Amino acid sequence: MSADPLHALASAGKAKSTRSVLRVVILALIAGAAIASRLFSVIRFESIIHEFDPWFNFRATKYLVAHGFYKFWDWFDDRTWHPLGRVTGGTLYPGLMVTSGVIYHALRALTIPVDIRNICVLLAPGFSGLTAIAAYLLTNEMTTSNSAGLLAAAFMGIAPGYISRSVAGSYDNEAIAIFLLVFTFYLWIKALKQGSMLWGALCALFYGYMVASWGGYAFITCLLPLHAFVLICMGRYSTRLYVSYTTWYALGTLASMQIPFVGFLPVKTSEHMPALGIFGFLQLLAFLDYVRSAIPSRQFQTFLWVFAGGSFGLGLAALAIATSAGFIAPWSGRFYSLWDTGYAKIHIPIIASVSEHQPTAWPAFFFDLNMLIWLFPVGVYLCFQELADQHVFIVVYALFGSYFAGVMVRLMLTLTPVVCVAAAIAVSTLLDIYLTAKSPKPVEGQPADGGDGAAKKAVKSGLKSTSKPLIGVYGLYSKVAIVGALTVYLLLFVLHCTWVTSNAYSSPSVVLASRLPDGSQHIIDDYREAYQWLRQNTREDAKIMSWWDYGYQIGGMADRPTLVDNNTWNNTHIATVGKAMSSREEVSYPIMRQHEVDYVLVVFGGLLGYSGDDINKFLWMVRIAEGIWPDEVSERAFFTPRGEYRVDGDATETMKNSLMYKMSYYNYNKLFPPGQAMDRMRGVRLPEVGPSLSTIEEAFTSENWIIRIYKVKDLDNLGRDHASAAAFDRGHKKKKATKKRGPRLLRVD
Amino acid sequence: MRSLFSLCLFLLAAVVSAVSTSGNRLLVILDDVADKANYSKFLADLEGRGFQLSFETPKSESLTLFHLGERTYDHVIFFPIKTKGLGPNLTPNILVDFLNAKGNILLAISSGIATPNSLVSLLAELDIQLPADRTGLVVDHFNYDASSAPEKHDVLLLPPPGRLRPDIKDFFGAGAGSNEVLAFSRGVGAVLGTGELLTPILRAPRTAYSYNPKEQAEVVDDLFAAGEQLALVTAFQARNSARLTLLGSAEMLQDTWFDAEVTKPSATGGRKAKTFNREFAKRVSGWTFNEIGVLRVNWIEHRLDEPGNSASNETNPKIYRIKNNVKYTISLSEYAWTNWEPFTLPSDDDALQLEFSMLSPFHRLELTPETARSTPESTAYTVHFRLPDQHGIFNFKVNYKRPFLSNVEEKNTVSVRHMAHDEWPRSFAISGAWPWIAGIGVTVAGWLAFCAVWMYSAPPLTDKGETKKTQ
Repeated sequence: MSADPLHALASAGKAKSTRSVLRVVILALIAGAAIASRLFSVIRFESIIHEFDPWFNFRATKYLVAHGFYKFWDWFDDRTWHPLGRVTGGTLYPGLMVTSGVIYHALRALTIPVDIRNICVLLAPGFSGLTAIAAYLLTNEMTTSNSAGLLAAAFMGIAPGYISRSVAGSYDNEAIAIFLLVFTFYLWIKALKQGSMLWGALCALFYGYMVASWGGYAFITCLLPLHAFVLICMGRYSTRLYVSYTTWYALGTLASMQIPFVGFLPVKTSEHMPALGIFGFLQLLAFLDYVRSAIPSRQFQTFLWVFAGGSFGLGLAALAIATSAGFIAPWSGRFYSLWDTGYAKIHIPIIASVSEHQPTAWPAFFFDLNMLIWLFPVGVYLCFQELADQHVFIVVYALFGSYFAGVMVRLMLTLTPVVCVAAAIAVSTLLDIYLTAKSPKPVEGQPADGGDGAAKKAVKSGLKSTSKPLIGVYGLYSKVAIVGALTVYLLLFVLHCTWVTSNAYSSPSVVLASRLPDGSQHIIDDYREAYQWLRQNTREDAKIMSWWDYGYQIGGMADRPTLVDNNTWNNTHIATVGKAMSSREEVSYPIMRQHEVDYVLVVFGGLLGYSGDDINKFLWMVRIAEGIWPDEVSERAFFTPRGEYRVDGDATETMKNSLMYKMSYYNYNKLFPPGQAMDRMRGVRLPEVGPSLSTIEEAFTSENWIIRIYKVKDLDNLGRDHASAAAFDRGHKKKKATKKRGPRLLRVD
Repeated sequence: MRSLFSLCLFLLAAVVSAVSTSGNRLLVILDDVADKANYSKFLADLEGRGFQLSFETPKSESLTLFHLGERTYDHVIFFPIKTKGLGPNLTPNILVDFLNAKGNILLAISSGIATPNSLVSLLAELDIQLPADRTGLVVDHFNYDASSAPEKHDVLLLPPPGRLRPDIKDFFGAGAGSNEVLAFSRGVGAVLGTGELLTPILRAPRTAYSYNPKEQAEVVDDLFAAGEQLALVTAFQARNSARLTLLGSAEMLQDTWFDAEVTKPSATGGRKAKTFNREFAKRVSGWTFNEIGVLRVNWIEHRLDEPGNSASNETNPKIYRIKNNVKYTISLSEYAWTNWEPFTLPSDDDALQLEFSMLSPFHRLELTPETARSTPESTAYTVHFRLPDQHGIFNFKVNYKRPFLSNVEEKNTVSVRHMAHDEWPRSFAISGAWPWIAGIGVTVAGWLAFCAVWMYSAPPLTDKGETKKTQ
């Protein structure tokens, strides 16, 4: 019709069906972008599982695919936690593995042969696309603006706070859990808005899936009751709330109890009590509501409210009594550390030793969320403006999420969705205001200048309240300035996200990358080299002792039994390994014998300057061991009298005699000219004479000395102790025993 | 022709190797090869038992215990050697390696000849002490041979050794006649450390002592050792069951003392007696060279022992469930000179035990002979038991180590898993669950009844409706 293509495009966008097609296309593109931006690691390195926990998930998935679901459910894993074993089927969240297993079998059924590893590697990016769509749906429930949802989807797709846990290869529970989290919230809002049992049941279904997938489901379990409670306190109790909440709670709890690992926890532990309490409280309210509608009397109403409050208080008291009497498990240590960030360091060193359990540093917020972090309060403010039930949810979620994200680094993940939603609302509101091309028709033929018109109107009517001032920004320059600035910010945001993803979050951490002087990439592959050595040169049931960080990788890559791994359920067992590492050889050897250890693996970064090595983690081993054996291991003994943690010639005797120190620096000085041995990580010169070992012998050292493996010697064949046997092998003759002091030891047969 | 020849060779090898359980290549190290005439009876006995003897002197260039990392001999006898060092082929480290490679050593020393350094170092590693300056003489003024050493009293007459402890088999002195004595001539006594790998075969009588005839000819001021602390013949068995025997008197093995007539001192009757040396030498060398006291584990079997379980046929499964009933059987044989015999415990006080352990034993059970599965060559020991209520990686462990018997240390690792989800009794089979099952039933029925009542109790018809109906 019109020759102007721009006009044609604008008019085409007005048709409703065209708009929905456009929206679908945009969403698809966003999902595609979300997936694409997570593929850096695959392109830079290879299709490989990352880090530590994913290796366990990968191994479990392989087991599931190979043996079927029931075998997986009853899986007793005798290759971890030697010799205790792990009831793996009952102590994991199976959602992730089952999801990839289903995808695998579905693809097989479609005759698409895909390696299970590739499914595992690409599962997280795939689900991030779904998360973007879920964020779109959730945001659409909050605002009438169409653009807000799309913006939220775009933010969600590329926000580094989420990408950090969902790059290709990061095959962890969070990979699918964040999608489930957002989608469950969407269904909850939907159910709440409509008071619909169907949506409530769907919400419970996805909640069940979430419980099956991630321990962070407690976040939903606490947030939904909190939302309901806030609504009640605001006097917004309604049958909609009643129906949606009770449906969700009853079905969701039943669903969660089907997971073997969760079992009866929903009725036994404190974390789940708020949900139960609100459930009961809602029943009470519904009853009172019914009574009130039947007997309309003001006095009676007040009495009822007092009654309700009283019973709520009674319920709380009953909870406290039940907890102290032991019917309900008290808060777990991990939960305490959410309230007091110093708690774990004092009481549970094993929790504090995990880097992702540390409190968040403030730059992390900017790093992970960039401009969203300052748009976030605006979005929350805008929610206050409208404050329907669903906006209360955003407000509650924002508060809750911000607090937890401040306490623990890893909980940044749960904050990210609400930040994206709130920021999207803020941006879209801004854009809606400033992008309106139309100016309102000036009233009564007056000039478009709002301020001027209002003044004249006021004069005209004489009564300010009756006048209708036109307030708004209609100047083209201001519009262009604001919109332009926002566009620049959005572009910068994309740049930032891409940069962070490519630089910070795409390293597999199994393979280290460094740059050569000519700028080319140099891959340091010591981990896989060592694990491959283990796989090819040791018996299949050779037990490997290492610090727990490497347990999953050894199990996954080397396929050898380990003593401890990243599933840190048994503090004592980990402390045993810590004690073996931090004690003298004579103390460690019986421990290793008892646990049938064949090889000991240590990570040493001294040659390369690799900071994540065992000497740097050593103090945690000492602390954890000291927690169990305070008489035998003492952290103080590893510090010099001046309170320094040293590894050079001034290191304490305890430090120098500890197995970990000896294993790290054994033979290290032979690499250097005499007296020149340097630890490049800690930047110190080492003593001229290196440590000697008698109960273990060096079996393997990787190319860059990052991984060192030692073989534990058998008992001496001739019944000598290892020190004298080693001395004899070196050619020292035994001293004449005739010069023994003290009375002769008589033999009694 | 050639195949026939090799077959003959094979048969010959089979006959010959039936002698010792660990090969028949025996190296004899002498100061001078001509010295072997002194030991002709003893060496002839050994040859008669099927050993292939090679004779070498320490100076020999061709003497080597290892070739390309493999043992070239199965057993070694050292007769007294006058030189102080044994050369580069017989350093203590090589001898220790020889023991570690399951080679056996019989070491005969003599008072007149200083023991070489190399051997002293080796013995020191085993916690066996010889007298200082490697000379010493054991004398006893009450138990000497009045006919050959009436003055010096350095030929001891000893009764054949009995059981060291009531639970140890008597390998060396059993069956000796009452008028047979051991002549221990001009020998050296050793002092043993407290390790459990050492066992004295023959201890000096309470009245014997050791002194240095050169320096302490007049006054014995500093006593090396006396009485039963002096071990005259000592057995050492390493953890890998390699054996070393220290014979304090090499002259014991000489022809002169085989079947010689000796006279007991007049204080104890002055009777004539025959020596037991030849039989004793046979037994000591036989023990050292794995002809007696060798235990063999023929097979080990563990299996599920659940009543009426047809799936329990699998032998040695890798995994059990907690609280399974399990049967463990181990078949043991003992080698006695020429053939394998069923192993029986040396005494009633002793017990063959099975440990079912993870970190520490959960069960320690006595294994009992099972006649049904025993053969003329072996005894099957068995035990039935119930696995503990603890999942994990467990070991069936038999750790039977007794003096003079080769070590039995058998470990079979199995996993013990938890109950699978479908192995629990069903809820209706548990009487305690009935109230809850009834509760569910009542709730369901009540809900259905409520629905029925709700749906069929229509609201009371209003007047309007009634009129409509009537109209």
